[in-house]
Amino acid sequence: MDVQCPALLGQRWLGAPEVGKNVWAQAITEECLPPPTPVCLCSVFLRLSSMERPLTVLRVSLHHPTPGPATFANVPPQLEHDTSPLLVGRGPDAHLRLQLPRLSRRHLSLEPYLEKGGARLAFNLKVLSRKGYVWVNGLTLRFLEQMPLSTVNRVAFSGMQMVVHIEGGTSLEAFVCCFQLSPSPLIYRLQAEETDEWEIIPQKQPPSGSGKQAPGHLGFLDSPSQPRPGGAPEIQLQREPPDGALC
Amino acid sequence: MSSFEDADTEETVTCLQMTVYHPGHQQNGIFQSIRFFNREKLLSSEVVKFGRNSNTCHYMFRDKQVSRVQFSLQLFKKFDSSVLSFEIKNMSKKTNLIVDNKELGYLNKMDLPHKCLVRFGDYQFLMEKKDGESLEFFEIEFSLSTRPLLQENNWLPQKHIPECGSYSSCSTQNNSPIEMGENEW
Repeated sequence: MDVQCPALLGQRWLGAPEVGKNVWAQAITEECLPPPTPVCLCSVFLRLSSMERPLTVLRVSLHHPTPGPATFANVPPQLEHDTSPLLVGRGPDAHLRLQLPRLSRRHLSLEPYLEKGGARLAFNLKVLSRKGYVWVNGLTLRFLEQMPLSTVNRVAFSGMQMVVHIEGGTSLEAFVCCFQLSPSPLIYRLQAEETDEWEIIPQKQPPSGSGKQAPGHLGFLDSPSQPRPGGAPEIQLQREPPDGALC
Repeated sequence: MSSFEDADTEETVTCLQMTVYHPGHQQNGIFQSIRFFNREKLLSSEVVKFGRNSNTCHYMFRDKQVSRVQFSLQLFKKFDSSVLSFEIKNMSKKTNLIVDNKELGYLNKMDLPHKCLVRFGDYQFLMEKKDGESLEFFEIEFSLSTRPLLQENNWLPQKHIPECGSYSSCSTQNNSPIEMGENEW
């Protein structure tokens, strides 16, 4: 649930919580919301780090056309990670573990780095799978090939579709991944094109007041066929008849 | 048929030869953990870290002035290339890494030139890549130099070396104004 208090969004909490005092979180809610309004503090803490700088957030949407019962079982709703490469794969040391037989144990990595003169983390996607390939923003990458990610990225591998949206923060200590599952395809056209038209399906945001999610539960995105209430989709795109989603 | 004739064809392996120098290496044992003149075989997907922390670094320098993780090297493959390339990344918040004339700050990275001089603090590394065919493995081989590499290779012949030991990025181009006559515009 989004925090309803504009004063809190994107703000730094200047005081550290004091040991033995459990009023810190309570103080946040009492400051600008009438009790007993519940507040999901993920929206507040998401952007805080131990250094009190907002963390870069990778919003990752995942879709598989035929997921098994365990495909996404190990995917947390949220994952904070340091500046080492974030591993995606089937293996036990993968940070984003996806249980797919066609997926390599270490399939790809997302590595944060800083551009010369830059202040926000940039990310590099590198293919670690010897057998598979990874399709990224229209390009097919093979073993040890890599490319920098843009603000919004379409990625496909082993039947999995992944859209990664990067929201830059200034912390250089860590970044956060927020994962959401989509029952519908995220990417339609996967071949490289001459134009830069997006084929990302806009995802409807869950309505406010829909209720708290249980810890560890990944939210499913609603079908894109339903119009999003309240205005235009977050991502403008040209919706074309599908050529056929990636297998 | 003999096993020699049946065996899989061997591939040559990319090798990164690193010659290191530090003025105090003999007194302080900073390279004590390094096996010199030994080719170590590593997976091509490995991110090789260099620094003071033996738990996280593949190659360790016993020196408190070295960051726990000072820098890292990893292989990657350029599009439409059959050989592997190295990428170097500065992992130290305190010390900049100098690759030839380029200065890398924290989390900055760059493609490692085929042959280059990498420096931080009093450490000097002459790195040279020998290309190989294999995409699966690569090798690193350390050798020790008892003389400074900077002067020996005449790496920066026109560069003034400041006494503080820190280097700012510089260009080999001549940036001084050029006198031109009125008729030369």
